[in-house]
Amino acid sequence: MCEWCMKHGAGKKWYLNAKNYSDELARELEAEAYLTEQWRNFEQVFIRKIAGFSSIGLGYKLRMPLIGRVLRWNAEKMIHSESRNRDPIRADGHFGQVIPLEDARIILSELAAEPIIENYCMCRWMQRNVKDVCCINFGVLSGVIEKLPRFVPEGMQHLDREKAMNRLTEHNEKGYVATVWFQPVPYINAICSCESPECGGLRLRKDFGLHSVYKAEYVILLDPDKCQGCKSCVTMCQFGAIRYIPSLKRVIVDYNACFGCGLCRHACIHDALKLIPREDFPGLRGMY
Amino acid sequence: MNATRIAIDYSKCGEVGKIDPRKCGKCLKICDPAVFLMHQPLHTQQDPFDPQVWRITAVWLSLCTRCMKCVNACPEKAITVSW
Repeated sequence: MCEWCMKHGAGKKWYLNAKNYSDELARELEAEAYLTEQWRNFEQVFIRKIAGFSSIGLGYKLRMPLIGRVLRWNAEKMIHSESRNRDPIRADGHFGQVIPLEDARIILSELAAEPIIENYCMCRWMQRNVKDVCCINFGVLSGVIEKLPRFVPEGMQHLDREKAMNRLTEHNEKGYVATVWFQPVPYINAICSCESPECGGLRLRKDFGLHSVYKAEYVILLDPDKCQGCKSCVTMCQFGAIRYIPSLKRVIVDYNACFGCGLCRHACIHDALKLIPREDFPGLRGMY
Repeated sequence: MNATRIAIDYSKCGEVGKIDPRKCGKCLKICDPAVFLMHQPLHTQQDPFDPQVWRITAVWLSLCTRCMKCVNACPEKAITVSW
C-alpha cells in the first residue's frame, strides 16, 4: 500500500474510498474556488516562476549540483501538498495514478460524484494544439470546466454513468492510459485518458522522475506459453515496457518500465497477458 | 553539452494581429518530444475565462534533439534554435 492509500484510503486503495469523492469534502476544501483558479491558469503552470524557477529548461535545472536537488525536493513538496495555504495557480496538491480499465469502471459506476462531463483534454491542447474529447471530470470540477469555453466541446452534456463508462472504455481500447487524479489532494474529480509525451503529469514522471503520476497497483504478467510472438501488444504500450525477443519468439516485459495500465491486454488475441497486483512480486513492492 | 535555447520571435507569432498559434500550431505538432507549449502570456490583460491571446514557449528544452523540424515548419520563420 502506498502512502496515499494509508492516508486517504480508509483501508482500501485511495481511489476506492467514497469519501474522497464527496461534495462535503469539496466544500471543506473550498474546492470550487481552488479549481476555478487552477483551471483558468492551467496552461501557465510550466511558464510561471515558482520559488524563483520556472519549468522552462527543467531538465537542465534538475541536473544542476545542489540547486537541482533543492528544486526536486521543492517540486515534490508542491505536487503532494496538503497544506492549508497551497496555491491553485501552481496546481499544488495535484497528482494521480495510472489505473486499469476495471478500476476506472468501478469509479465511474459507483464513486464519481455527479455531474459527470467529458471535455477537451487540457494537455493535448497546450502541447499539441489538438482538441480531443477524452477527459472525464466529475463533482465540483464539472461546473468549473463549463465556465471555460476552450475546454467545452459543442453540445456538451452531463453523462450518465453508463455512457461515461462506455466512453472511457473506447479511449482505453484506442490506447489511452486511464489515470485518476487528486486535485487538490484528497479530493478526486477526474479520470483522464492520457498519452505520452503530451500528458503534463506523465511528462514530469517519465522525463524528470517527479511523482506527479504513480504507477498502478498492478503490473502485467505474460504467459510465455500463450504468447505467439505477434507483437501486437508492443504497439499499445506508451511506456516502452514490452519488447519482442526474436530468439525466444515471444515478448518480454520490462517490469521497471511497466506502469500497470493494462492497455496491452486489448491487443492480445491469445489471452497471454493479465494484470496482477504489484505486491505479488516482492521486488516491485512499493515501487509506485 | 551546451544547453539548447529555442527563441520565438513574438513580433511574428502570438501577439495581437500576428499569427494566432491556435490556428497554426505547426511547431507543436511537428515536434516528436513535444518541447513546445501553448499558453496565455503571463502579463496580458484579457478575459480570464476566455483568453484570446496565446503564445508558444519552448519549455522542455533538455528533450530537444536539435533536429530543426520546427525551424523549417514555421511559416513565419519565427523560431531560432541555438546552443
